[in-house]
Amino acid sequence: MRRIRLILRVFVLLIAGLFLHYVLPQHDVARITGTEIMRQDFSTWNHWFYAQADSGNVQGTTRDVRLINTVRQRTWLFGLIRGGDQTMVYRNEDTGWIWPPYFKFDSSDLQAEAQDLTSTAAEPQWVVIRHYGWRNRFLTIYPNATAMWAIPDDRPAAERATPPDYRVIPWFNIFFFLFLALVWGFIQIVWKQFRQRTVDPTVARVGETWDGIEANVTTQQGRFRRWLDTWRRKK
Amino acid sequence: MFGWVWLILIVFVGMTVVYTVVSLYSRSVRKEKLERLWDEAPQSADPGARDAFIARGLAEYRGSLRRRLILLVYAVPVVFILVLVWLTNAN
Repeated sequence: MRRIRLILRVFVLLIAGLFLHYVLPQHDVARITGTEIMRQDFSTWNHWFYAQADSGNVQGTTRDVRLINTVRQRTWLFGLIRGGDQTMVYRNEDTGWIWPPYFKFDSSDLQAEAQDLTSTAAEPQWVVIRHYGWRNRFLTIYPNATAMWAIPDDRPAAERATPPDYRVIPWFNIFFFLFLALVWGFIQIVWKQFRQRTVDPTVARVGETWDGIEANVTTQQGRFRRWLDTWRRKK
Repeated sequence: MFGWVWLILIVFVGMTVVYTVVSLYSRSVRKEKLERLWDEAPQSADPGARDAFIARGLAEYRGSLRRRLILLVYAVPVVFILVLVWLTNAN
């Protein structure tokens, strides 16, 4: 029983972790190599990993999706460990008013920015891309870019082939997890108060009532026994 | 197109749940405090006096600014969403 509970707990934590990893913003250091627009025919498998049509438009069964092609610096462990370069393709979609709550309506502007910051390997312009989501080649899904800005690079032109050592402090994630801890603490306090003031007295009262019933039954039994005794032969 | 209607609806329902829980909790804490105040220094031996003291304290709490401030939970997500919209879309 304890093992089943442990497995369930690990499973729930894993799902929650994956969910947060998908939804929370991350930052990549990348070089934009081009932009393109591709028609996407969503399947039941991958339409969960796309947002909806641009804000103000009608939702059709297929639509064009803006893509941003890049070469980015490989990262592991939330960007703490950094490696060589890899290609990465981002989509650029409005998240609109609902989900995930980035409230992004400026996909067209972001696409224009991406085109402005496009560079070649000979004359690289490194940028930071804020995004959420996953790249998966089997499902054809892409992380959604939500913002980008150029990294100021004061190295001589010959050394710019490798990305500069630029780190973004994830303020949003820091405050998000602090907020989550606060909410968790508040729920604990409220639950404790509820138990102390409402559940425990109710349980105690029910217990008292039950004791009363039991006592009553015992006396009833006594009376029944006494009545039975009246039929017995008197000693 | 009407995503914002859904957003308002969801936020309103969610915040109503939060408002209810917070106000029940706050009232319970106040009641506990009143009980403790009385038990530390009872003002009379009359058994009804304790209940009257607590009822008076809760009536006072009902009109207090502290209870009205709980309404601010409705303002928090609105401000947060407006700031997010501005930060995401302003260049």
